Amino acid sequence: MMETHVSRYGKILLAVLVAGILISIPWVTSNYFVMMSIRVMYFGMLTMSLSLLAGELGLVSLMQAAFFGIAGYFVAILQSRYGLPFPIPPLVGITVAIIAAGLFGLLVIRARGIYFLMLTLVLGQLVWALASQWASVTKGDTGIHGVYAPVIFGISTEKSKTAFYFFQLIVFAGIAYFLTALKRSPFGLMLRGVRDSETRMAMLGYPVALLCYSAFVFAALVAAVGGVFFAYFTGLINPHSVSLTANVETLLAAILGGINALSGAILGTGILKTLDVVLSGVTKRYMLFMGIMFLFVIMFAPHGIVGTIRKHWDALVGPAADWFGFRRERALAAFLSGQGSSSQSRKRKEGEEEKED
Amino acid sequence: MAKRKMGLMLVAVLFLAVGMFGTAHAVSEIRIGHIGPTTGWATIFGQGVLDGIKLALAERDYKFQGVPIKLMSEDTKADVEVMRTKLDSLKNRDKVHLIIGPSLGHEGMAAVDWGARNLDAPMLIGYSAPEDITMRKAAFSVVRPGWTGSQVIFHFGKYCAKELGYKKVIIVGQDYSYPWDQAAGFVRGFLENGGEKVERIWHPVEAVDFSSIMAKLMGMAKEYDAVLNNSGGAQVVGFFKQWYQFGLDKVYPQILGQANVPIVPMLSELGDLALGVYSSLHYYDGNPSQANVKFRESFKKAYGHYPDVIAVQGYDAVHVAFKAMEAINGKVDDSKAFIEALRKVRMSADESPRGPFYFDKYANPVQNIYIKKVVKRDGRLMNIAVKTYKEVSQFGPYANMAEKYMAAPATTRSYPPGDRDSYFKEIEKHFGKDYVENLKKNKGWVD
Repeated sequence: MMETHVSRYGKILLAVLVAGILISIPWVTSNYFVMMSIRVMYFGMLTMSLSLLAGELGLVSLMQAAFFGIAGYFVAILQSRYGLPFPIPPLVGITVAIIAAGLFGLLVIRARGIYFLMLTLVLGQLVWALASQWASVTKGDTGIHGVYAPVIFGISTEKSKTAFYFFQLIVFAGIAYFLTALKRSPFGLMLRGVRDSETRMAMLGYPVALLCYSAFVFAALVAAVGGVFFAYFTGLINPHSVSLTANVETLLAAILGGINALSGAILGTGILKTLDVVLSGVTKRYMLFMGIMFLFVIMFAPHGIVGTIRKHWDALVGPAADWFGFRRERALAAFLSGQGSSSQSRKRKEGEEEKED
Repeated sequence: MAKRKMGLMLVAVLFLAVGMFGTAHAVSEIRIGHIGPTTGWATIFGQGVLDGIKLALAERDYKFQGVPIKLMSEDTKADVEVMRTKLDSLKNRDKVHLIIGPSLGHEGMAAVDWGARNLDAPMLIGYSAPEDITMRKAAFSVVRPGWTGSQVIFHFGKYCAKELGYKKVIIVGQDYSYPWDQAAGFVRGFLENGGEKVERIWHPVEAVDFSSIMAKLMGMAKEYDAVLNNSGGAQVVGFFKQWYQFGLDKVYPQILGQANVPIVPMLSELGDLALGVYSSLHYYDGNPSQANVKFRESFKKAYGHYPDVIAVQGYDAVHVAFKAMEAINGKVDDSKAFIEALRKVRMSADESPRGPFYFDKYANPVQNIYIKKVVKRDGRLMNIAVKTYKEVSQFGPYANMAEKYMAAPATTRSYPPGDRDSYFKEIEKHFGKDYVENLKKNKGWVD
C-alpha cells in the first residue's frame, strides 16, 4: 500500500523535475546549448522512429531518414518556393511521408531480419537517388536553402531560438508521450509478441502483417515530424539528409543509447550529435574516438547505455539504498520506476527487457 | 562630509569619462574562425585554405598592431547541417570577429543563406564558386575574395574560338552544379566569339570507367575540334589515362581543362600526360611576380610542398582582412564598419599572388583572368600564362548588364543552350537585340 502511494508521488516528482529542467534551459544555459538541444530533439525523433521498430518489433530499418527527408523536402519546397503559410508545409510533408510509408510498407512488411534490413536499405537509397537526381524539383546535390521557421501566435521562431525551442519541445514531448503510450498499450504488447515469436502470435490469431504495417507507418510519422523541424531550424535540406550515412548514424545512435528504451534513443542521439560537433573541434581523429566508443558499446554493453543501466539497476541501486538507510531497497527501486507493490517489482526484475520509461 | 562626497563624485565622473573615451584598440584579442572540410573526400579544399590562412597569419606573427590573433578551425565534414551548427557555434560560443570559409559549392550556398540571417557576422568566402553567392543571393555580410565558376572561363571560350580557331567543342564533365557553371561560362564565351557548337556530355560524379565516353568521342572526332575535361580530382586522372589508352590523342589536339584540371597537385599525379593542356583561372602558379614567388617559396618552406590556388584563397582572405582592419583602426567589434571596410579593399599586383583585384558592388573580385598552358620548365611541370584579360568581373562581358544577367535563368546542366542559333535566340531575349547586333558587328567581344 505504502509503495503504491510513494511510487505515484515519485513519478509526479520526477516528471516535474524533468519538465522544470527542460523549461529552464533557455534561461539557465547559453544560446549554444539551446541550439544543441534543438538539434538533439529533431535528430532524436529520427532515432526514436528507428528504436520503435527495432525495439518493439525487432525490425531494423535503414530507411527512416527517407521519411525524415521527405517531410523536410516538402517543407522546404512549399515554404521557400511557393510561400505557403504555416501549417500547410509541415502538414503536407508529414502526410506525404505517411503515404510513402504506406506504399513502401506494402513492400517490406513480409520481410524479416536481414531481408528487412536490405529492403529498407534499398528503398532508402531509392529516395536518396530521387533527391539527388530529380534536380528540377529538389535542386539536386546543392539542395534547397532559404527556408524560414514559422511565426506562431505572432512570435517569430526564426528570430528567437528560445521560441523555436519551446515550439519544438511541446511537439517533441507530445511525440514522446504518444510513443510511450503506444509501448505500454496492448498494441505495444502485441508488437513485442511478434518480436518474440511471430508464429505463436499468428497461431493465436493476431494480425501480424497489420501490426507490423501500422508500426511501420507510426514510425515514419515520428521521423517525418523530426524532418519538419530539421528543415525549419537549419533553413535547408539536401540529399545528405536522406543518405545511407544519415541512416547508419541513426542506427548507431539507437544502439548507443539502447533500442529498448525511448530515453535510450534520446541519450544516444545526444551523445552522438554532441560529440560530432565538440570532438571535431578538439582533434582531427575524432572519427577514431567515436569508432572505438562504438566498439566498446557493442562488445561490453550491447543493450546500449540505458539498457545496461536497467540491467544492472539493482546492483547499482542496492548499495546506494543501504547507504541511505532504506530497509527495503526494492521499495526505492519501485519508487523510482513507478511500479507498485513488491511482488510486481520482483516480476520486473525477471522481465527487465520488457519495460519502458 | 560634503567635500568628501564631492571628491568621490569627481573621481567617479572621471572614471566614467575615461571609460567612455577609451583607447582606439578596445579589442583585447581578434578571433578568426575558419570553416571548411578538413576531413573526408574534400579535405584538399578545406585544408588548403587553412594552410594559406596560417601562412599569412604567421607572416604577421599572429598579431595585428600588437593585438593577438586567435585562429579557430572547424571541420564541416562536407556536411551542410554540421556546417550550419558550427557557424552558429563560431558566432555564439566562440564569438569570432570574422569567419573565413567555406570551400565547397553547396557549403557556400548554405553559408550565404546563414549570412543573410546573421548580418552582423562578417564572412569571407574561401573557395566556394557558385555565382549566386555574390549575385542572386548576395548578403551584406558576405564578401568573397575568390571567384565564380563562370568568371574564370568566359574568356577561355573566346580564346578557343578566336585564337585556337575551334568551331565545335565537346565538354565531358561531372554532373553537378560547379561543372555546370564552368560549362555555361565556356559556352557563352565560345558561341559569342565565333564558335558554332558546344556538346555537353555529363557523367556521374564518382565515375571511373570512361570507355563508353571515349568510344563516343572517337566517333565524333570528324565533326568536333576539341574536348574539354570538366571534372576534378580522381576523375581527371582516370579521364586522361583512358584518353591516351584509347588513342584519342591521335584524333584530337591537346585536352582542354576546367579550373580543377591542371592544379598543382593534379600535375604531379598526371605527369607528362598534362603537357600542353590549356585552361583558365584567376591565378597561375608560374606567375613570376614577386608576390607569387614569395608566396610559393614560403609555403614550400612551411609545408614541404608547393601551393595552389586553394591556398591562395586563404592567404588573400587574411590580407584583405588586414587591410580592412587597418582602415577601421582595429575596431573589429563594430561589425558593420568592418564589413563595409572589407568591401572597399583594393589589392595591388605586389600584394596578392594572383595579381591586382578589387570588389564589385556584390562583393566579388574584379580581377585578371589568365589563359594558361602546362609546360615543363627546369624539369618541373607548371602553368604559364599565354594571354591575360584584365579586370574581369563575375559578370564577364556582361558587366554593364548585371541586372539583365541575373534576371536571365540560372545555369543548369543544359542552359545556356550549346548550339549557336538557340543560344543567340536566348541572349536576344534576355540581353536585347542591340547586344546581338553589336556582337555580329564586332565579330565577338571587344577586348
